[in-house]
Amino acid sequence: MVGSAFHVAAQAEVSPEEAAGLPPPASHAVSFSKEVKPIFEASCINCHGHGRDKGGFRLDTRDTALQGGDSGPAVIPGKSADSLLISLVQGVDPDNVMPKKGSRLTPEQVGLLRAWIDQGALWDTNVTFGRVEPANLKPRLPVVPTAVKATNPIDRFLEAYFVTYRIRPPKTVSDRVFARRAYLDVIGLLPPPEGLEAFLADGHKDKRERLVERLLGDDCNYAEHWLSFWNDLLRNDYKGTGYIDGGRKQITHWLYSALLTNMPYDRFVGELVNPTSDSEGFTKGIVWRGVVNASQTPQMQTAQNVAQVFMGVNLKCASCHDSFINDLTLADAYGLAGIYADGPLETVHCDKPTGKTAELKFLYPELGAIDPGADKAARLKRLAQIITQRQDGRLTRTLVNRMWQRFMGRGLVEPVGDMEKAAWNPDLLDWLAEDFAAHGYDVKHLIRQILTSRAYQMPAVNLGEQPQQDYVFRGPAVRRLSAEQFRDALMCLTGVGYASPEKEVEGTIPPRVAVGSCAARPAGTNNVRAALVAADPLMVALARPNREQVVTTRPTVATTLQALELTNGETLAEVLKRGAQNMLGAPSAANGGLIPALYEKALGRRPTRQERRLAQEMVGQPAQSAGVEDLLWSVAMLPEFQLIY
Amino acid sequence: MTRRDFIKTASAATLSALTAGFPRSLSAEPEAKIKPTADTVIVLWMAGGMAHTDTFDPKRYTAFARGLKPEHVLSTFPQIDTAVDNIKLTAGLENIARVMDRATLIRSYTAGDLGFILHSRHQYQWHTGYAPPQTVAAPHLGAVIARTLGPRKPAMPGFVDIGQRFDQGEGEELKAFHTAGFLGSEYGPFVIANPEDALKSVRPPAGMSPARFERRETFYRKLLAQSPVGQLGSDYQKDSLLRSLDNANRLLSSPAAKAFDLSLEPKATYDKYNTGRFGLGCLLARRLTEAGARFIEVTTEYIPFQYWDTHENGHTRMVDLKKAIDAPVAQLVLDLEERGLLNRTLIVLASEFSRDMMIEGKPDKQVKDQVVVPDVISDMKSYGMHRHFTDAGSVLLFGGGMKRGYLHGTTADERPCKTIEKRVVIEDLHASIYRAVGISPKLSYEIEKRPFYVTRDGLGQPILDLFA
Repeated sequence: MVGSAFHVAAQAEVSPEEAAGLPPPASHAVSFSKEVKPIFEASCINCHGHGRDKGGFRLDTRDTALQGGDSGPAVIPGKSADSLLISLVQGVDPDNVMPKKGSRLTPEQVGLLRAWIDQGALWDTNVTFGRVEPANLKPRLPVVPTAVKATNPIDRFLEAYFVTYRIRPPKTVSDRVFARRAYLDVIGLLPPPEGLEAFLADGHKDKRERLVERLLGDDCNYAEHWLSFWNDLLRNDYKGTGYIDGGRKQITHWLYSALLTNMPYDRFVGELVNPTSDSEGFTKGIVWRGVVNASQTPQMQTAQNVAQVFMGVNLKCASCHDSFINDLTLADAYGLAGIYADGPLETVHCDKPTGKTAELKFLYPELGAIDPGADKAARLKRLAQIITQRQDGRLTRTLVNRMWQRFMGRGLVEPVGDMEKAAWNPDLLDWLAEDFAAHGYDVKHLIRQILTSRAYQMPAVNLGEQPQQDYVFRGPAVRRLSAEQFRDALMCLTGVGYASPEKEVEGTIPPRVAVGSCAARPAGTNNVRAALVAADPLMVALARPNREQVVTTRPTVATTLQALELTNGETLAEVLKRGAQNMLGAPSAANGGLIPALYEKALGRRPTRQERRLAQEMVGQPAQSAGVEDLLWSVAMLPEFQLIY
Repeated sequence: MTRRDFIKTASAATLSALTAGFPRSLSAEPEAKIKPTADTVIVLWMAGGMAHTDTFDPKRYTAFARGLKPEHVLSTFPQIDTAVDNIKLTAGLENIARVMDRATLIRSYTAGDLGFILHSRHQYQWHTGYAPPQTVAAPHLGAVIARTLGPRKPAMPGFVDIGQRFDQGEGEELKAFHTAGFLGSEYGPFVIANPEDALKSVRPPAGMSPARFERRETFYRKLLAQSPVGQLGSDYQKDSLLRSLDNANRLLSSPAAKAFDLSLEPKATYDKYNTGRFGLGCLLARRLTEAGARFIEVTTEYIPFQYWDTHENGHTRMVDLKKAIDAPVAQLVLDLEERGLLNRTLIVLASEFSRDMMIEGKPDKQVKDQVVVPDVISDMKSYGMHRHFTDAGSVLLFGGGMKRGYLHGTTADERPCKTIEKRVVIEDLHASIYRAVGISPKLSYEIEKRPFYVTRDGLGQPILDLFA
């Protein structure tokens, strides 16, 4: 036990002989900030600072240092040989040496500390090692800067940013490129040729805003596109582990309806944190038959997932021990998990029960307290209030950041799972978050804000898989179609979608959607989108995750196994075969329209003469179905098709 | 140098580094690099729980007779001699018995205490070292090896999984660990559900002739050159996409693809292996090893209540199961030896746990009975090891730097026939496999800023006694 270190050592009086064994105090006037503070930072504050108080001892300020912990005063000014701090770092009792972890202090360091104490233990009052206020937590509304050119608020924030980084924003992308981006980003489908033509022909000055508006109004396709995003985050799936034992529950019906009606995000989160019977799947977790490790109980899964998904912070480490990667502690993890427990929850440290009952609290107690006496229903209600209150600026920033990452390829904060990091433009993040809250937590409003900015309409830039330290925003990254976007795009080209939703999904889709048609979706019978079926080998290869864990960002790197599936997998081959037959049967095929129609649907443009010649040679004269299949494949493999640029 | 030339000349390691990107590996331990004794690992998976006392750990034999009391029955097969004096096996494993002088036999493998028997959960733990659920997607042993060492030959997938279908019972649970998890799908299993169809997985799609396949590729290259995005400069996403297509095309058109074609095998050898899907899986494993595979798993296939999951008719079914594995396993050892590959190929034959006629779980940690055992055995149906026993189990190792003719660990000769000496747990078994291929058990990969160790919390200790 860590606490006993102080206890035992305190009982051992330091004898003059032992005192003589101490390194001598440094002979010069010691500087607290230059010589002592670095020692504390390197060796002490991990356990005795940042809100942690192992052994009841906090090294936050001079007062707390003098006051000491469970074993009495740690520092007696003027008397280093009698100070507990010195005997512990010196290791007078070999069984109780500080620091507990990491390397021992050198004799020089002990000498410095002795001299500091002997010289009166002076402390710069502006130095504290106490808990710092968590970053990105309080709401903040920066003033939107006045700008020379920009009108959209995002661009007004970025104007100065670009000046700082000496970036001359290039011309925005063409209408064609913009339309493709907007369709894929809002509803996840390729622009249909007639929709694209109408947009190009539109003479309105604000035609791009109008297009975004129209796409946001396509409720059904919007819902079916964003379903995948939320399924990943809330690990909702139609098949997976846990179902065989009733250890898992879908929330598909609830989620689909929430997206279809654009449920305000505060209510959305509230209904997940404090669920109804329709939305309880998220907090039920995944339960395997048998015993589970204490860090994987359903309530601990919930604590981890609430922290990760809504607050953008990693609680997984702290589920076993005080975290090494952030300031969250085991007590924080159990404080949150305990809210979901049916009775008092015993804290378990690295698989060892501690005998201590968790004190119920939210990760950021400044947002409000949980009444430990309240029953579970009341506690969950209170927790939902705490998380979704207007004063919780982390909830909004986390979502804003996820959306920004989705559209721009990089978050304002990276990684998106570490919202304690600073944004590359804090004013922009803070303003977007406040604007989002002020507009009733309307996710579509947030999407509109971003997509109508000039920033979103900048030409795409080349970014790798890993976030760089020195990232500078120069425009959205080139992105890759997701598994579902790729499969749905093939449906747009060929009319071959899925025949019916997964049987686990059927009945969860609201009736008016099930019978109605979605505007931008091909008519017919095979028009069910990829999000509504369980992952097939093609989608698995294209990185649709099995949703055993929360997935916030899918990998986009193209793998060999993926390419093999694309090159010779049966799933794609079957789609292409049926697709080729559909295309040959279409009226346009008869008069040589097959190739232009394919290019317009797939790439949003007409083929060049050279492309047309090549494609013609490929499909044969008259067109052969094998040739059409191969052309379809070739077009689908083009980076121009698979990337969002 | 053009991109294609680069792909052709780049070493496997470069390619894997290029495709990998992340997550990055954290340094293992400062100690000197472990010298590998194996380049390839073949796991032969006895899915469903292989009873030790009826296979590799014979106890007192009791022939079937009506009126037997189950508690008297320890082995339902008589014991047989092997090439090694002090190692006996049970009848039905005569071919393996003849190659036991090349084997290290662990009899003291002890499965985890998961509170309840669920095959897929124990299999998950065997294959990843971690019991589900887990906060991050734990990678399969094969994925760790593929990720850490890269493929032996650039065209050959680093992790090949032979014999398992995923549309049967507990398929979702099986999927949960047949994955590279957070390491990324580049290292995920290349799945060949039926070894006889192996060639299909490296051939053009069904119905497409090689000539048409080549023509499609040629046209694609031409169209690509015309596409404006194709003409733009280097781009991470585009390059990644094109590189992966090149890699796939390389496998499909490389000589390595021939390794997948079992019809090229002389009839005499084919017949020696052909005891069914598992036997042919062993043949495929041998061919892939010759062609430069890194990690291969061949399973008898897990389907609830089938194969080794003997809830009834244990003895009768065991006769067939032994027929399925005995000849091909022995032949695999002999063939690899003949080709000079056994020394550098580690074969691991294992199962998620063992079985017993009486005890479910461990004697001191029994779990809920899942099989009704009658007081008296009155028909063959009840004659066999039908309960799930986790306190002992056999793991058979060949080659890859292991001792030859060595027996490790002891189990009790009377019920409970549990481990009494040199207990082996999954962390240590994994650490031993990793050591054989030169990987530290403390190696970790960073995920969500945390280290994820290849053996649970980095605690695995290689069993040095196993190594020659």
